[in-house]
Amino acid sequence: MLKEPLENPACIECGLCREVCPMFLILRQERISPRGLAILADEGVASVTFYQCTLCRACRVVCPVGHDPAGERIRGQVVAQGVETEANRIMIANIRQYGNPFGPLKEGEIPKTLTCC
Amino acid sequence: MMDLASLQTLVGPENVSASLEDRLVYGRDASRLRGECLAVAWPMHPEQVVALVEWARAEAVDLVPRGAGTGLCGGATPQRSLVADLSRLTRIESVDVEQRRARVQAGVVLETLNRRLALAGLFLPVIPGSHRSASIGGMIATDAAGLRAVRYGVMRDWVEEVTLVDGLGRVHRLSGDALNHAAGREGVTGFITEATVRLAPLPRQRSISLMAFDDEAALLAQRRRWLVPELTALEYLNRHAAAALGWEPRPHLLAEFDSAQGEIREPARIAELWRQRDGLYPVLAASGRWLIEDPQVEEDNLVALLSWLDAEQIPAFGHLGVGIVHPCFRPNDERIAALYELVAGWGGQVSGEHGIGLKKKAWTDDAFRAQIRQLKAVYDPQGLINRGKLC
Ligand SMILES: Cc1cc2nc3c(=O)[nH]c(=O)nc-3n(C[C@H](O)[C@H](O)[C@H](O)COP(=O)(O)OP(=O)(O)OC[C@H]3O[C@@H](n4cnc5c(N)ncnc54)[C@H](O)[C@@H]3O)c2cc1C
Ligand code: SF4
Ligand code: SF4
Repeated sequence: MLKEPLENPACIECGLCREVCPMFLILRQERISPRGLAILADEGVASVTFYQCTLCRACRVVCPVGHDPAGERIRGQVVAQGVETEANRIMIANIRQYGNPFGPLKEGEIPKTLTCC
Repeated sequence: MMDLASLQTLVGPENVSASLEDRLVYGRDASRLRGECLAVAWPMHPEQVVALVEWARAEAVDLVPRGAGTGLCGGATPQRSLVADLSRLTRIESVDVEQRRARVQAGVVLETLNRRLALAGLFLPVIPGSHRSASIGGMIATDAAGLRAVRYGVMRDWVEEVTLVDGLGRVHRLSGDALNHAAGREGVTGFITEATVRLAPLPRQRSISLMAFDDEAALLAQRRRWLVPELTALEYLNRHAAAALGWEPRPHLLAEFDSAQGEIREPARIAELWRQRDGLYPVLAASGRWLIEDPQVEEDNLVALLSWLDAEQIPAFGHLGVGIVHPCFRPNDERIAALYELVAGWGGQVSGEHGIGLKKKAWTDDAFRAQIRQLKAVYDPQGLINRGKLC
């Protein structure tokens, strides 16, 4: 049942950032909103949900208390706990081995270009 | 154990979840109470809400309606319940520019609607501080007021009709006096799935006056002078709240007019002032003062209320045009009880706009509880929807 309310210094869970998050705008599911991610981080849940954050930091811009989703750091911790998506695992392995995220290139092949939005 | 597989066949497998992550995040709303969520469903159409209620009746699972989860009194906090998140009911079904009305689904976000309406020179003028996220369904359920209440009143004043799915799965179209069976009832009578709302013309002009005062008495004298027909907002910050925003630590009044009466007229400066004002509660909450109250008192008692809060060094702000004040406390502050004793003595309201939810049940009276029980007997005799809220 109801537990005592606790302090969450990082995010005060007001929900004012929901509608700027590109992932929330598509999925409309609290878990994949800045507030949802902050709650999961607060609860210490290692989840693949953190890979669904684009790290765009739009939430940081509108958050009245300047909460930073700290996406890269959290993702590092999640990887350290062995929770990883297949795509992430392959990408990291390729970067380490071939110096690009896509894997081995044929003779003369130009690497695909990584583009931003 | 409830049969989630059968619910998935009714609303689609991707619209039901009992994952640890979903249960955790839907256990909370902006009230920061922590409840227990058993599962979540995201109806995609109003008809799926009917199917969900019928399923819940068969399974004897209680349901919690949820909009954007920005409510501050635990109305959307589950207590071993399934949360029905209406955030995917986002259709703006029609806009009648001539008649100035719109038909929308409950999950439509106020800001999204108003951005669409701006093209036609219209807006829904009830603007809570949470306007960027709050849903129309949640705003009707809480009878939200907000920044422009002094001019435009509360949400109920702008609702023409609501479609309500009650605890027996029946669909009602409520209008006139019957609107009160859904508006301001915080979901205890059922799910608002759609609504027809009235719209207002967008003001052609806006200006703001921002003034600091030596004390609350001087501020209230200015309040009376600013209560003119062009006034669209009248916001108060006591010196403790002003200091939290980095403003001079004196009581402030921010008045907005739909004329050139105010000295601040540049749209960018006006937007920046409203941005700071919208962020005031989050800033106070981040400093540990996240228990926000919302008493409402008559004009005659404002000076006593504001002076008491100031003397107790409690940061407070609010919609002074309509007598709603938001003192912000740290948890377990015994002065909250003292505050409500004072407010009751003055014949004021425990909740001017946020609602009762779970947090304020202790402050309601017998007449209110009897009224809610009567409504429950008609709309939700099995006590399936928002169990334990309001009374
Ligand atoms: C920073 C901040 C500022 C705020 N400023 C204001 C303000 O100025 N004025 C004001 O009035 N409020 C304010 N609020 C409170 C809150 O935003 C309002 O109460 C708002 O109307 C809640 O809308 P929601 O969609 O988030 O509803 P939720 O929080 O999801 O739900 C609120 C209640 O309504 C019920 N409910 C939600 N949707 C439905 C539905 N479709 N059918 C039936 N019941 C439903 C829920 O069960 C719950 O009891 C503020 C909140 C924050 C965090
Ligand atoms: S950084 Fe992540 S959580 Fe924040 S808005 Fe971007 S996608 Fe959403
Ligand atoms: S990240 Fe900021 S805006 Fe979003 S819920 Fe937390 S405190 Fe509110």
